[in-house]
Amino acid sequence: MKKKLLSLGLVAGFAIPLAACGASTGGNTNETTAETTTASASAETTTASSGSSTGTKSFTYGTTGYGIDMSTVGTNPHDGYTGWATIRYGVGETLFKYNKNMEPEPWLATGYEFVDDTHIKITLRDDVTFSSGRKMDGQAVKECLEDLVAKHDRAPGDLKIANITADGQTVTIETSEPCPAFINYISDPYGCIIDMQVPEKDMIIAGTGPFIATKVTDDSIDLVKNENYWGGDVKLDELHIKGLNDGDTLTALLQTGEVDATYGLPYASYPLFENNSAYKLATAETSRQFFGKMNYNSEFLKDENVRKAICMGIDKEGFVNTLLQGHGATSKGPFPATFEFGDGKITAPEYDPEGAKKLLEDAGWVAGSDGIREKDGKKLSLTWLTYPGRMELPLLAESAQATLKDIGVDIKINQTENHKDFWKKGDFDIYVSAMVTAPTGDPEYFFTTHSLSDSSSNHEGYSNTELDSLAADLHKEFDKTKRGEIATKMSQILIDDNAYFFASHLQMGIFTKAGVTGLEPHPCDYYEITANTDIN
Amino acid sequence: MREASERKNFIEEEDTTEVKKSVKHASETGPTVRVQKIKKNRIKGKLIVFLILAGALLFVSLFARQLCPYDPYKQDLSAALQSPSPEHLMGTDRFGRDLLSRIIMGSQASIYSTLLLVLIVSVVGTIFGVFCGWKGGKVDSVLMRISDIFLAFPELVFALAVAGVLGGGIQNAIFAMAAIAWPKYARIARSQTLAQKETPYMYAARLSGDTTFQMIFKHILPNIMGPVLVTAMLDIGTMMMGLSGLSYLGLGAMPPTAEWGSMMSESRSMLQTYPWVTLSPGVAIFISVMIFNLLGDTVRDYLDPRQRTK
Repeated sequence: MKKKLLSLGLVAGFAIPLAACGASTGGNTNETTAETTTASASAETTTASSGSSTGTKSFTYGTTGYGIDMSTVGTNPHDGYTGWATIRYGVGETLFKYNKNMEPEPWLATGYEFVDDTHIKITLRDDVTFSSGRKMDGQAVKECLEDLVAKHDRAPGDLKIANITADGQTVTIETSEPCPAFINYISDPYGCIIDMQVPEKDMIIAGTGPFIATKVTDDSIDLVKNENYWGGDVKLDELHIKGLNDGDTLTALLQTGEVDATYGLPYASYPLFENNSAYKLATAETSRQFFGKMNYNSEFLKDENVRKAICMGIDKEGFVNTLLQGHGATSKGPFPATFEFGDGKITAPEYDPEGAKKLLEDAGWVAGSDGIREKDGKKLSLTWLTYPGRMELPLLAESAQATLKDIGVDIKINQTENHKDFWKKGDFDIYVSAMVTAPTGDPEYFFTTHSLSDSSSNHEGYSNTELDSLAADLHKEFDKTKRGEIATKMSQILIDDNAYFFASHLQMGIFTKAGVTGLEPHPCDYYEITANTDIN
Repeated sequence: MREASERKNFIEEEDTTEVKKSVKHASETGPTVRVQKIKKNRIKGKLIVFLILAGALLFVSLFARQLCPYDPYKQDLSAALQSPSPEHLMGTDRFGRDLLSRIIMGSQASIYSTLLLVLIVSVVGTIFGVFCGWKGGKVDSVLMRISDIFLAFPELVFALAVAGVLGGGIQNAIFAMAAIAWPKYARIARSQTLAQKETPYMYAARLSGDTTFQMIFKHILPNIMGPVLVTAMLDIGTMMMGLSGLSYLGLGAMPPTAEWGSMMSESRSMLQTYPWVTLSPGVAIFISVMIFNLLGDTVRDYLDPRQRTK
């Protein structure tokens, strides 16, 4: 009897916590995944369960692209990089959108015309309404753009808007100086058109997209379909965005079926889904670049031979093929080969450890007893500043540390979330980061923000008068082919000066359950959820 | 004299009943002593076994460089993520580094850092506690309240906060852990000092002209070392887990330093796809912590006065 009671007690002891766990899981995942039990069956059960229990089609998207770490919290595009969330999750749309070749095409607009060097006339669609019910006309766009340049940090410098005139379904924008890349810039996510007559409340705005945000927090957005969407029927009824900064959690969520699609899975998790018929992977080459900048104020890096040896001592092929498991492409310059002004037209030093050793040897850097080179009693020891937010960067740092040690350069890695503080103070030798170099499909942005003598992100003391002069030419040039030629020259200068090294471009990947359609990555990294996103 | 005669009478009165009892008691005491002796021998045997195992760990970490079959820091991307094989007994990591070599090399960082940490906290805590116990009064009250403040924080959370402020690095992790771990030793040392201070032999020592310094070093410290040592031994496993935990969270050893916690952290996303990369350092931590915990338990049992045979 005692044994029976003990057994009963033990069973109860185990069952109660298990039941509690089950209840909490269900509670966290909404009705969407309440009935999901296994990963393999999840594709079918998710939709079936949501459809049968509530009569709505619900979709949960897990991403590392939304959250405080990525500076994308909210839906108001006029606030820093929040526009990325606005456009990615179908809340807002821009006047023009990029095609796969990163060329702007009409979206909320139907076309544009440069009246003269400083006047651009944009014609708007006549059938667009905001989620607030207001019609999108010239006046609405004028109000939105005026608020944008009044509040946004980057937009005024990019767009140079001096005056806006609205007339029915057209707006004429006057710029303070010629702005040949205006259409490219206005297609940036900050250019999402929102209804300014509806004040932002709880980080929610009224856009023109297929979805309307109902609840926005620091790590999630809940949305419902926009019943009056101008672009046609929206396939999903509900959309839930889960922002996560841990790729492993994301992996687990996709495996358990708590999310229907993911962006930002660690490469190490790819084999779990790649050869599994329950999942699909869609990829796109992007212009997100992993690159390093040499600090010209560093006593070692003033020596051009050291800079060149470093560029020759980084094994880009190994980084991409092994550490990124092939999910990327090696780089020569700032832009991928898919661009007219990209890698196809420039040359860069190849990985050549023997050549790098000889270069250092000839420059008087002699290997010490520990293999690290010395000159004038000083060891060639450099600080590699980077951050862990992009999972590829620590891998690049550790890989380069080993290959550069082989040529006699000691690398001390400073991998910190506070990288910008160190960078701005100049407390580094090599700063390695990741950025989308051509977010607008135009090359000017990268050079003006990073490489010129007066660039806001030039904390390296790098200066080249020819580069500055070419930048001035680029700024005035309207002809697209000529802009590409100038940009190619500028990229080549950066490489010839050994001021930068460009390691790799990111291949963006979105894993979805097999039944998901209409969700594919785009080279610009902006467009994800659309009206056509569906789950069956 | 009067007391002595009263005592004698009392014993004589009890004698008659005690004689009967003693016959029965003698038959019980014999086996009890034997059981205690067997127990004591068992503990001694266990102590020797665990000392040998701990010694083996220390030996491996001391001669890590010589014992590594490969250079633990040499990358070979063409050999990345190889499963365990005769060539690489524990496989290779994503940089193609031999995992066995990194585990062996990692023992230096993991074990020596832990021993250093335990040494620091036990010495600092003991000095603090002895000072408070000896000095007494307001100084004691104030200093012990400070230690109470540290005791009020959850250990790992406090260490996380300190390491977060100081930044990564094994030295910072040791400092962070030490900052929260010393009060325990201070309390033990203080209570023992207070007890020892009032013993007659301390009065005798004072009367015989010993200085404070002599009394502390000749009489107090030798008599309080037992409890401090046992606590320190028991703490090694906990501290090792704590340091590995900080490294796992990116606040301890920094790459490419071979350290078990950071090795687990680096490879955590491979648990399902390349499990040997994560499990190897995990097993190393498990075995080491277990050996030091069992050694600590055994030392405690061995030094426990209740285990001493008559």
